[in-house]
Amino acid sequence: MASERAGFLTQMVEVFTSTVSFGERLNNMVHLLARYLKVDLALYFGLDKAKETLVLNISSQGPIPPHLRLEFPLGTGLAGEAAATRKYLVVHRDQPGVQEANAALEKLNPAYHTLAAFPVADDNFLYGVLLLMDRSDRAITPVERQNIQLACLMLSSTLRQAIGQEEAKKRIAELSVLFEVGKALSSTVELDELLERIVSTTAKVITAGGAALHIIDGATGELRVSSRYGKIPAECPALPTMPAGAGGAGEPPHFEGQSVDPEGRNHYCLAVPLTFKGQLEGTLGVYDKFSPSGEFAPFDPENRQLLYTMAGVVVNAIENALTYQQVEALAEKNERMVRNLTTLQEISQVLLTTVQQDRLLDIILQGLILEQGLGFERAIVFMVDETTQTLKGAKGARRAAAGESMSFRALLAPPSEPIPMADCELPLRADQGPLALAVLRKQSYHYRQTGQEPGLPASLLRIYSPEEFFVVPLVVKDQATGVIVVDNQDSGRPLESEPLHVLQMFATQAALVLENAHLYSTIEANNRELLLIRERMLESDRLAALSSLASGMAHEIRNPLVSIGGFARRIAKTVEVNSPLRGYVEVIQEEVTRLEKLLREILDFTGENLSYYGDHEMAKLIDDTLILVQRDLDAAKIKVVKEFAQMPRLHCDDRQMKQVFYNLFQNALQAMAQGGTLTIRTYPVEKADGLYEAAAISDTGGGIPLEVLHNIFNPFFSTKDYGTGLGLAIAQRIISRHYGQIEVNNEMGKGVTFIVTLPVAKYCLVKDLGHEAVPASALRAPKGGRR
Amino acid sequence: MKKILVADDEMSIRLLYSEELKEEGYEVYLAANGREALEVVEKIPLDLVILDIKMPEMDGIEALRRIKERRPDLPVVLSTAYGEYRQDFATWASDEYLVKSSDLEDLKAVVKRHLKE
Repeated sequence: MASERAGFLTQMVEVFTSTVSFGERLNNMVHLLARYLKVDLALYFGLDKAKETLVLNISSQGPIPPHLRLEFPLGTGLAGEAAATRKYLVVHRDQPGVQEANAALEKLNPAYHTLAAFPVADDNFLYGVLLLMDRSDRAITPVERQNIQLACLMLSSTLRQAIGQEEAKKRIAELSVLFEVGKALSSTVELDELLERIVSTTAKVITAGGAALHIIDGATGELRVSSRYGKIPAECPALPTMPAGAGGAGEPPHFEGQSVDPEGRNHYCLAVPLTFKGQLEGTLGVYDKFSPSGEFAPFDPENRQLLYTMAGVVVNAIENALTYQQVEALAEKNERMVRNLTTLQEISQVLLTTVQQDRLLDIILQGLILEQGLGFERAIVFMVDETTQTLKGAKGARRAAAGESMSFRALLAPPSEPIPMADCELPLRADQGPLALAVLRKQSYHYRQTGQEPGLPASLLRIYSPEEFFVVPLVVKDQATGVIVVDNQDSGRPLESEPLHVLQMFATQAALVLENAHLYSTIEANNRELLLIRERMLESDRLAALSSLASGMAHEIRNPLVSIGGFARRIAKTVEVNSPLRGYVEVIQEEVTRLEKLLREILDFTGENLSYYGDHEMAKLIDDTLILVQRDLDAAKIKVVKEFAQMPRLHCDDRQMKQVFYNLFQNALQAMAQGGTLTIRTYPVEKADGLYEAAAISDTGGGIPLEVLHNIFNPFFSTKDYGTGLGLAIAQRIISRHYGQIEVNNEMGKGVTFIVTLPVAKYCLVKDLGHEAVPASALRAPKGGRR
Repeated sequence: MKKILVADDEMSIRLLYSEELKEEGYEVYLAANGREALEVVEKIPLDLVILDIKMPEMDGIEALRRIKERRPDLPVVLSTAYGEYRQDFATWASDEYLVKSSDLEDLKAVVKRHLKE
């Protein structure tokens, strides 16, 4: 007997200290007990996690089939009683109430007589109950009781170890989850990717079938799936916006749901809120936890705890990501600014390459519309005309379809798609819309068509009718000299407010260079005028000297000539017709006549009179002069072709102008002694300083030899056998006193064209060229100019 | 016979004019400057005076003024080498202004016209 007991205890200790799994150890212990006590059946009921029910775990007859599952709530049946009282109990079937209370046990052993229950517990915890069943009516001896209680201590100790190890495993698992999450956090800053990792990790750790992160949509206030993992059952109740007080008192809020699908399976879900700076921002939820039985299991408090941890990580991650995004946005903004400044600097370098307004406008427009420039789709520059108090369209362009990248070359090339300005003019009044306002208030505007603000003036809409644009004034020395207007009308891309700052910086630069160009051109024009006046004065001096010399000589010569010629005529009267002397005298007469004609031309040239000014039509002057030479033209068989343009009257000395045409016709006559065509054409000419009228007189006389060409306007130069050579010099002199020009186009082998150009403006002519008085009313406003 | 005074500082001109005018049937008096011309006007009941402008001692313009003072009715023809004074002759109150030419037909026509009246 003693040896039997010793054998049992030795075997129990062997099992207790073995390294097989805890389940195996418990199993072996229960079997050893059954064998040692020689009872029909030994059972172990474990207390469930809720500590409310005893569940049959181990049977000495082997694995428990599902239909033999047994449960006793604490306090019911012998097992429940033993657990509740923590005392060992032995009963017999025939004792009152025993059979009823333990009826469930008859499934296992219908013929039992004796029942004994021993609590399996240590000082702190109750783990379960050991139940013994036997068909005989037997008692438990004190030795047996001692041994059973010893075995129960070993069972409880083994169970404690098992629970401890399971907890340690869970901690390790939790730690490794946190490690995983930490790794994920540090490995990526992409928020979406991070959230996905958190969600999948959460699901894996809890062994849930699915997990989802819902974020509240800022616009609708509804929960929206931001990230999900695995399968989220359709039957699972949708997560409502987290009720603030969900969960028990003192517990952090959470949501638990349960539903049953058509196949009768239970589905569970658990969700915790994500609070961000005290504000509910979403939920983190898990679904369908797997359990070893294959059924889905409800989530336990440990799962909830883990979920809270994960939610904390998610909030941190979102916070980090948002901060990072802000930093990134700042960096990007910085980079954009640097890029903009670089662009501005490049454009300003190119702007320094010229002082011509037109070229500058081209460069400014290109800078505005090139893709890597300021990148607008259309740009127009308007300039203020101070004389008329209007804003005039100076130049505009749109970006070419095939966008060219910005380079010095691209900036220097004129825009390929100009916008026609067609004399666009806006009065500078506050009621004329944003363009005029930009000038008057020296302010930039972001115009958007809303239908409520006063519309754009019709004169502008004719060339420009965008729905949205920026207008920025060109300000120099606190004065607005024009505006830059830009838009993205072609693509409809909205204008952002940031480029307005860049545009304003650009406008400052543009205003400066345009002002410089304006000053430069004023200086240049003044210089040109001074030079012209100086030349005229020199010419005037030269001609005055020539004039007095010629005049003096003419008078000295004229008197003797009159005598010589007069007496020759007298002699001729007395000489007989067929005397040889007659011929000689005639030669004297002819030569004198020629000399006298020469004198007349000289005296006409030098003796000027300026008092015959009036308004005359150029065509009429030409026609009147043609009459004088008609007979000569007919005689030389010269055809006359006239092409006269309808033009305003010229302010000129008609006698002098007729002399100009007369001299030019004489010239043509002499060039076409053998016949030809005289073509006279008149047409208007627009020059930088105003409107001119031109007359082009062409002959078909074969042209002027090169060696002669340079001298044709020199007084006294002539290729003719007779004549003074003064004709063209006189013409030039008269034209220049009318502030016009005479040019010669020589086509060797064909003919010569003389072009006389006269200004329409009514200049007052005064003898002293140094002090010209020009009536202000007669002056045209310089083109495209201002001030 | 109509009496004509020719005043010119050029002897050859005086000679030419007097020959031509005598041939036309006029009585011709001669003067070499304005002062001499005035003396002749004082002494002779002239019908017409031909005056050069540029002359020594007294020029034609001064002589014209003085002649017209004494005899406003006496026709005076300015005959000169200076074409450019044509515009002024009216203010000088001369009756004609002729630029000298070797062809005297113009001069003779003018003289004839004035002496007819």
